[in-house]
Amino acid sequence: MNKRLLLVDDEETILFALERYFTRLGFIVDRARELEEAEALASFTAYDLVIADLSLSAEGTTEGLEIVRHVRRHCRNARTIILTGNATPVIEREAYRRGADVLLRKPRPLAEIANVVASLLGDAA
Amino acid sequence: MSMLDELRQPGAVRIEFQPIISLRDGEAKLYALEALSRGPRGTSLERAEVLFEYARRKGEEARLDLICIAEILNAASTLPGEPMITINVHGSTLSDADQFAERFLFAAESFGIDPKRLMLEIVEHRAPWTMERFRATLQSLRRAGVRIAVDDLGVGASNFRMIVDCRPDHLKIDRYIVHGCAKDRYRYAVLKSIVTLAEACGAAPIAEGVEDKDDLALITDLGISLLQGWLFAKSMLPADLARSSFLQQQPTRMKGSSR
Repeated sequence: MNKRLLLVDDEETILFALERYFTRLGFIVDRARELEEAEALASFTAYDLVIADLSLSAEGTTEGLEIVRHVRRHCRNARTIILTGNATPVIEREAYRRGADVLLRKPRPLAEIANVVASLLGDAA
Repeated sequence: MSMLDELRQPGAVRIEFQPIISLRDGEAKLYALEALSRGPRGTSLERAEVLFEYARRKGEEARLDLICIAEILNAASTLPGEPMITINVHGSTLSDADQFAERFLFAAESFGIDPKRLMLEIVEHRAPWTMERFRATLQSLRRAGVRIAVDDLGVGASNFRMIVDCRPDHLKIDRYIVHGCAKDRYRYAVLKSIVTLAEACGAAPIAEGVEDKDDLALITDLGISLLQGWLFAKSMLPADLARSSFLQQQPTRMKGSSR
């Protein structure tokens, strides 16, 4: 059965690239650009995986961590990946404390992200 | 542009209508049309539950309600005949939106719709709201002839307090209670208690999510004659509805029904 993936990023171009890439790999992809949009989707959908940018509005914000917390509550079996261009040790610790499975530094080739996804989901992505 | 900004664009919120049927003595007649709002096609907000959850998380449910009401009245004005239209609205909107009753009635007048043809289905997701304004708004709407229903009865936050506060004309029983009631004595027990409650309050119950003939038989045996669900009709776009038999006002005979 196809896996359900939620992509969250405020950059339309990144969303577009990720959506195309993972759709081709057979994922059913939903996308969100805002924290509240992602939370609303995750409240009603059993995702297998969520890939969220750390910062969804101004630079330095950490909405991605809120999404991880929400997903942990509503989609207990979902795996979560946080993408970030400016991870600090504090943020990294906080991401794992909230239940993120992986924190990846951007930019990162899509194939590399797919490899991480495959290892998280336990099958070939 | 945020999704909320996109929703403000004319036509971004799409409207469908689902018939509510009155079934008496085996004759099915259109009672009302429930307006259902959907977000922009191809977006995450296409699903109604996601659309409204998004607005609630943004703290913008009143704004979204007003956008939906304008689109619903616009769509309703294109329908032939004068069917009753039911519109979902958050309880908080009735108290939080500035001059809700005046704006609602003005919009109805603008689209040439008599307020007596309108019913508000009040959903509750957060409380408390300003009770004084909530009651004043309800009073103004009632004075103009708008009917009031408590929506989603039996699930979530729609509780007895809503019935006390709203004094509704209708109780809409959520599909969670209705669907499968013929095979589940707990659902049956809840339904039966709601019928008793409705009678005592002078409110007519409406069963949502009627999708099964066994459920229908039990529901009608309990005395519920207002019914909504796929067994009768799915939601339809206004143009499709206008072409359908529902707006012809011709009662149809339900096979196998005793009522």
